[in-house]
Amino acid sequence: MKRVILLALVVGVVVFASVTGYAGQKTLTLISGWSGAEREAFLPVLEAFEKETGIDVEYRIYRGEDLSTLLPAQFEAKMTPGDVIFMWGWFVTEKAREGHVLELTDIIDEADFLPGALSSAKVGDRIYGAAYTGKIKPGFWYRKSFFEKNNLTPPKTWKEFVALLEKISKIPGIEAPIASGDGVGWPLSDVTEHFLMTFGGPQLHKDLTAGEINWTDPLVKAVFVARLVPLLEAGYFSEPIEWTQALELWWNGDYGLYFMGSWITGMVDDPDDLGVFSLPGAMGLVFNPDICFIPAYTESPKEAKQLLSFLASSRGQEIQVKQGGHIATNLGVPLDAYPPVDRRVAGVMQGKVAMLDLDDAIGGEFQTTFWDQLKLLWVRPARLDDVLEVLEEKAP
Amino acid sequence: MLSKKGKFSHFFFFAPVLALIGVFIIFPVFSTIYLSFFSSSGKFTFLANYLNVLSRREILNLKGFSSGFPLGALLHNLLWIFIHLPLTTFLGLVLAIILKDVKGGSVIKSIIFLGMITPMIIGGVILRFMFDKNVGIVNAFLAILGVEPKTWTAYPETALFALIFGSVWLWAGFSMVLYSAGLGTIPKDYSEAAKIDGATPLRIFFNITLPLLKPITMVVVTMTVLWELKIFDIVYIATMGGPGGASNVMGLQMYFYAFRQFDFNSAAVVATILMLLTLVVMIPMMTTLRGERG
Repeated sequence: MKRVILLALVVGVVVFASVTGYAGQKTLTLISGWSGAEREAFLPVLEAFEKETGIDVEYRIYRGEDLSTLLPAQFEAKMTPGDVIFMWGWFVTEKAREGHVLELTDIIDEADFLPGALSSAKVGDRIYGAAYTGKIKPGFWYRKSFFEKNNLTPPKTWKEFVALLEKISKIPGIEAPIASGDGVGWPLSDVTEHFLMTFGGPQLHKDLTAGEINWTDPLVKAVFVARLVPLLEAGYFSEPIEWTQALELWWNGDYGLYFMGSWITGMVDDPDDLGVFSLPGAMGLVFNPDICFIPAYTESPKEAKQLLSFLASSRGQEIQVKQGGHIATNLGVPLDAYPPVDRRVAGVMQGKVAMLDLDDAIGGEFQTTFWDQLKLLWVRPARLDDVLEVLEEKAP
Repeated sequence: MLSKKGKFSHFFFFAPVLALIGVFIIFPVFSTIYLSFFSSSGKFTFLANYLNVLSRREILNLKGFSSGFPLGALLHNLLWIFIHLPLTTFLGLVLAIILKDVKGGSVIKSIIFLGMITPMIIGGVILRFMFDKNVGIVNAFLAILGVEPKTWTAYPETALFALIFGSVWLWAGFSMVLYSAGLGTIPKDYSEAAKIDGATPLRIFFNITLPLLKPITMVVVTMTVLWELKIFDIVYIATMGGPGGASNVMGLQMYFYAFRQFDFNSAAVVATILMLLTLVVMIPMMTTLRGERG
């Protein structure tokens, strides 16, 4: 009998120790949509956090489009699949208004960030999301070696831009002057917004975002009719290709130009061979900070806030920008932390207005409709009126 | 005649499954129908929801007949039925007949049946690559005919048809297997007797085999139509209903209403419409089969 009691005690102590030992070892779950090369560039940041704090971080990949379906149901059930989640700013503020997001005003100081970096993550004066690094969508990327080989130069006027496209289209082996990235559709919306911002002006872009001007307004339609549609009809843009496949094809010389965000610098073999130019006359560029938030249903709010603070800090962001393709939102990251090509990208931003991404800012049904309708416009530019009509129907 | 005790013990054993059916099938069905008659604020709208949903361009777009696709998810589903159904039914029957007494026929049938066991999500991924301009096998075949390669799922006029034709291999295995089983049940005496009387193989097929396969055909047609009405995963992965809604289907639109727009009342309307269309297909089949047994 004594032996049985002693054995039971030993087993109990072992079980207790292992449970409390396991409980003491926190593991946070961080969710974002980065996979492949982008994921590889992000992991060193998490590893630095783990080393500094002893808190393990499990990284899970979910696309924003899937999270926007998954998270509302989970939040209603007072559950969350992650402790820190990267999502669009509009989603964070929408869920914050519904009470599903932890307030971060006590740990995030807006003065530490680029002006406007946190605007998409605030409800009134309260901060619900942290700005991590961001990406600029500066314009059309090209390989310098390709331009040198074919005696091409970046254009300074619209006329020069069209002439450049015509020249590229005649180069043997070129499928089309500009590769059109596809997937769910956001690469096409990036191009379209660049045209709207350049030829309609930053104010037009802001008005469209705020729903203060119709998509069928003559001013908006003029941008399409006079600039974008003629290029589509002339075949200067390829048909939409899955964007990472398009990147490869463009890099291998099937296309001359590729409109993409600054993260491209971290995805190519030789970033020093990269050049970029905005549409001549561009007065605004999209600068998109990645926003992360903490769901109210996290079981480790203290640790989650530690992770989020690290991601928002200059320490965390400096590790990321050194990988290439990211622009820090934290003002404490020094310029020499950037690879040379990203310093050039930051230079493209000089003198231009930083704009929010239109469809990311509006979100909801409009965002997916915008992407889908642009896929139609790209292959059937003659259907512009139908496209603008549908966009106006779904606009805020 | 069962005693009371016998009836009670029957009920006792049926009760668990009846409870599960009640909770997971009957309650959600009636709940969905109920939801379809109310607005998001809880106001009873009777048929107003239905009229509203059916007037939306993503569901029914008659203007598309003049301006081009989309025609609306409802008409897209009907196109699936009109094209995919005869193709898969006929192909399945032909394959079943050809492979009936062929050496190695069962191996070939197993390979053809792989389409049925492939998850539809994977089927959608395969379709996306099949029609890709740069790597698609369809373009490789069409190049022999001198057709210029393009990504067939990227264009509004061809996206839906690419999915329909491209998914024939996913479902043909089902009709082939059913017809194979059906052919196996037809006594050989019938065809032998007909041969002796001088009937040609074609006459035997149309006058003996095909009529005897009628019950199988009813099942194949019904199940295929049901599959086509609820199609979702292939379209979601391959095109997400685009470009511009040109390949959208009712199942996918129901998903958009419920989980993108959180408009559960509209989603309930679409679900109820699909259920009614399903009943239109199911009831004749049940009646016919019951009549045949009688």
